[in-house]
Amino acid sequence: MKFILNGTEVTYTGALNASLLDVLRDEYRLTGVKCGCKEGECGACSVIMDDRLVNSCMIAMGQAADSTIISIEGYRDTDRYAVLDRAYASVGAAQCGFCIPGMILASECILAKTPHPSEEQIREGISGNLCRCTGYNAIVTAVSIAAKEGEGLW
Amino acid sequence: MVNSYIAASLKEALDIRAREDVIPYGGGTDLMIKAADDVSYLFIGKIPELKQISEDNEYIRIGAACTFTEIIESPLIPPVLKAAASQIGGPAIRNLGTIGGNIANGSPKADSVLILFVTDAMLRLVSDKGERILPVKDYYLGKKKTALAGDELISEILIPRVDLSNYYYKKVGARKAQAISRVAFAGLMNITNGRITHCATAFGSVSDVIIRRDYIDAMLIGRTIEEAKACKAEYLAAFDEAIVPISGRISAEYRKSVCMNLLGDFLSENGI
Amino acid sequence: MEMISQSVTRQDHAPKMSGTALYVADYPLEGVLFGKLLYSSRPKARLVQVKIPALPDGYLVVDKNDIPGENRVHIVQDDTPVFARETVEYIGEPILMAVGPVEKEVQHIIDQIEVVYEDLPPILSMGNSDTVFFNYEYGKGDIVKAFVEADKVYMEEFDTGRQEQAYLEPQGMIAEPHDGRMTVHGSLQCPYYVHGAVAKALGVEPGRVQIIQDVTGGGFGGKEAFPSILACQVAVAANKAGQPVRVIFDRREDMEFTSKRHPSHSIYKVAVKDGKVTAMDIDVMYDAGAYTTLTPVVLQRGIICSSGVYNVENLNVHGRAMKTNTVPNSAFRGFGAPQTFFAVEMMMDHIAKDLGLASLEFKQKHIVRQGDKTSTSGIYHFPVPLPDMIEEVDKACDYRSKQIEYSKPQSGRYRRGIGMGLYFHGAGFTGSGERDFIKAVAKLHKYPDGSVEILAANTDMGQGIKTTFTKIVGQELGLPLDRIIFSNPDTDRVPDSGPTVASRSLMIVGELLRRASINLRANWIDGENQIIEEHFKEPDFIVPFHIESFEGDAYPTYAWAVAAIEVEVDTLTGLTDILGAFGSFDVGTPIDTNVVLGQMQGGFLQGIGYASIEQIGADANGRIRNNSFTDYIIPTAMDVPNMVTMLHVEKYPDGPYGAKGAGELALVGAPAAYAEAMEMALGTKFNHIPVTAEDAMKSLEVAKL
Repeated sequence: MKFILNGTEVTYTGALNASLLDVLRDEYRLTGVKCGCKEGECGACSVIMDDRLVNSCMIAMGQAADSTIISIEGYRDTDRYAVLDRAYASVGAAQCGFCIPGMILASECILAKTPHPSEEQIREGISGNLCRCTGYNAIVTAVSIAAKEGEGLW
Repeated sequence: MVNSYIAASLKEALDIRAREDVIPYGGGTDLMIKAADDVSYLFIGKIPELKQISEDNEYIRIGAACTFTEIIESPLIPPVLKAAASQIGGPAIRNLGTIGGNIANGSPKADSVLILFVTDAMLRLVSDKGERILPVKDYYLGKKKTALAGDELISEILIPRVDLSNYYYKKVGARKAQAISRVAFAGLMNITNGRITHCATAFGSVSDVIIRRDYIDAMLIGRTIEEAKACKAEYLAAFDEAIVPISGRISAEYRKSVCMNLLGDFLSENGI
Repeated sequence: MEMISQSVTRQDHAPKMSGTALYVADYPLEGVLFGKLLYSSRPKARLVQVKIPALPDGYLVVDKNDIPGENRVHIVQDDTPVFARETVEYIGEPILMAVGPVEKEVQHIIDQIEVVYEDLPPILSMGNSDTVFFNYEYGKGDIVKAFVEADKVYMEEFDTGRQEQAYLEPQGMIAEPHDGRMTVHGSLQCPYYVHGAVAKALGVEPGRVQIIQDVTGGGFGGKEAFPSILACQVAVAANKAGQPVRVIFDRREDMEFTSKRHPSHSIYKVAVKDGKVTAMDIDVMYDAGAYTTLTPVVLQRGIICSSGVYNVENLNVHGRAMKTNTVPNSAFRGFGAPQTFFAVEMMMDHIAKDLGLASLEFKQKHIVRQGDKTSTSGIYHFPVPLPDMIEEVDKACDYRSKQIEYSKPQSGRYRRGIGMGLYFHGAGFTGSGERDFIKAVAKLHKYPDGSVEILAANTDMGQGIKTTFTKIVGQELGLPLDRIIFSNPDTDRVPDSGPTVASRSLMIVGELLRRASINLRANWIDGENQIIEEHFKEPDFIVPFHIESFEGDAYPTYAWAVAAIEVEVDTLTGLTDILGAFGSFDVGTPIDTNVVLGQMQGGFLQGIGYASIEQIGADANGRIRNNSFTDYIIPTAMDVPNMVTMLHVEKYPDGPYGAKGAGELALVGAPAAYAEAMEMALGTKFNHIPVTAEDAMKSLEVAKL
């Protein structure tokens, strides 16, 4: 089947019941998509599918047919990423880093829907992304900063 | 030889479903946990006939492949269902999980199914041979056993278009997001000119099947608030007897206490 | 604020943000064999027979017979096997590894292997155990006299549960044999611990083993000792296969079979005279699990901390670690102290209530001061800033007035409480470990182009030492940070500066690097290669510590903290909302404010989780049931509000710029603050953590009777 991966149309000929997470990491070598649990609980494997935040471990390839998928590798060249990058850097939000690609994509989805989110909206937007290092303070602050600094981008 | 199928239409899906040994796949959020290697899926998540949300004179009609996010965003969906859908998992799970999948899983913990019980919703089951409409409570036959035949798919959920505005919903999980419910309660009550015209309650996650006892709720229907207060003790005692929670990791005592507390609060909020 | 405290962009920010950072599971799979472990399904049994099916070409099985060296993983003692010997001692003990080119096929082989066990009676709770792994006792003063003369003697028992580190990146290791050497790289905290263990298991000279840390997605102690076991297994497998072997745990096996925080049971007997505590007689028991691993050191720290921040002149402490046929418990942030700090804080809180005093008011009468003796008859050499920190926290959250308000009888649906924990964390290795065992060495290599490389074995697992070490060197040498190199440690290239544990890295190794930098600056020669080496020197003020008698300075200094947590309990559901979490933390000078605050916030939330929603249950055979993120509940972003974390700086003269150990502190005292708040909200006593929704509901039901 075909799908659009980070802006390029690709043809996938493998098993339709394989997980998108495994295919992105093993076949397309997109190792920025992390595997934390394989149960849809931790969000480390988050990607954006058809403009929605999803857990790639929960998606069988058949479901991804004709969809548009963006992983961190596709997102990191955007202006929006640059704003989030500076915001996260300013508060030191990346500690061990394992949750971060997922958090970034979750941040994008929050701001795409609500360009000026409240703290409550940010916390709900990242509620499916577990972090064990930060206690979430710095990540929430980073998204707020990005909302201010990225005026007009979202 | 593992063959999975992507169906473009409902007819195509039903033909495959009748012919092949496949597992219908809506959003995948239950199926993909510990999936076997050699499983054969029938992908129905994008079939247009299963993605509609509409209303007619009698029902609000929800396509089985609608995701929880789509349900939350639709202006046609009653707030009581949105309340439950918005507490399922986290944003990513809601973007994928479907109401049909929530039903098909056969679990008493299914958050949206609790609402279907309390609203006395119906399910449309279709096969290549025809269709039937089943009250949701008749779909659940016991512990993880459902009435779905091997050639059937759930195509639509029908919620009766009654006044659902006065609702009570509480999900009790282990944390505020990404939580499977340990106890869930939904209540509906309509009061017109001081008289109770409708009362419905349902309890989720405490037994093999969601608990709905419309004959107990009927005790209050037709009564004034004062009359309802008079038979409140009897009403609660009837539910006290009817709710026998399963003990598991979470004790039956805890589940029972929470059920009775929430039921009592539902009554209090309505002046009873 | 010291200039160095000003936050900079973390040195490893960019690769982690962009997804280019390579964790062990991200390395290319070409030419690498997959390994999977077969675990014991019995808690205690003799291994009668292991029936291996016929193996396809290219697939092999590795067990105790394939170990070239000793079948021992060197941790503190050497009882942990690489692969099970004649018996298995817990569900999850690795029996063998299957290895091959296709992962699914390797799993298939594991599924087909039949193990014949002869079941033996297991011991699954420490109360039933007859095997004492470690037994320590120490004391001071005259507790007999104090108890005789007491106005009242209090006695209570306290329990704490297991806790899972729940690092987001599961454990993983890759071993590559080449040119007569074995290179092992993976997710780990202590390259030299792994190095020593692998060399012993392979039976080779140390020079033939190379250990490299990969970018590590969280450790919290869970990757302090456990990686040595996995590394030995992978190295032995790679040695047999003659090819690289890779093992990456999935979340379930990581949660079921890797080390956890020791559960504890403590008995406190406290003598009170004239409204003050005069003596404590403390008995502490930890559940070590099936093998010793780091238990002796965890127990030591736990009993040393058992009298808390209080000046208790008459003290007796007895600690035992018991063997049970469960997963061996090991390091987790706090390392034995969270257990006893919970107990002593609750004990003081309960005594206060009995005396009709507010908890804080009673505790404050006993807080140690500079010059006082420690529990082990050492000295608090430096100022104890707790009184000021208490005021800071009180100001931030109105603790005292809320405590009065919430202590009144409450009757509504929602009940509130506020609790406060006072605590310290002894910075660095217990006793004379730094001087006698670790003997840390750190180096700087200046290149002819003027760039400088930090050569130390300490690992950044998120706590920020890539940034803080670099800032120290940059500050002393006047170099911009991008001229300083600090790569993930490789034992071929870095000296043994000691493990990344015990909140020691910044305080000990950071100081070595500062001195080396000063030395380099003084002797800088342009255009030349220069290597400067610094060796650990124990500060002069330390009162030597004798481990046999537990006398002397157990730690050179202490990081101090005050934590307050405000809760609201819904009496209909037993669920608790955290309304606020407030902490004042003294870790000396922060080498980077964002880095330190991030550590305080992360540790604080782990402590809250430990006290509330994190729970590990086991089945009748002791097998851990909470083996996924679905069942082992850690807080999400919706479960906690913005935590208010303040830094109070009491400089430590022997730490770099006044910094002292920071990594573990914030977790240690949060549980007591949470439990006290819950007691206040529900008008009851809790002597255990976690305090769950079920516990809350039970106490409400009891109150109704």
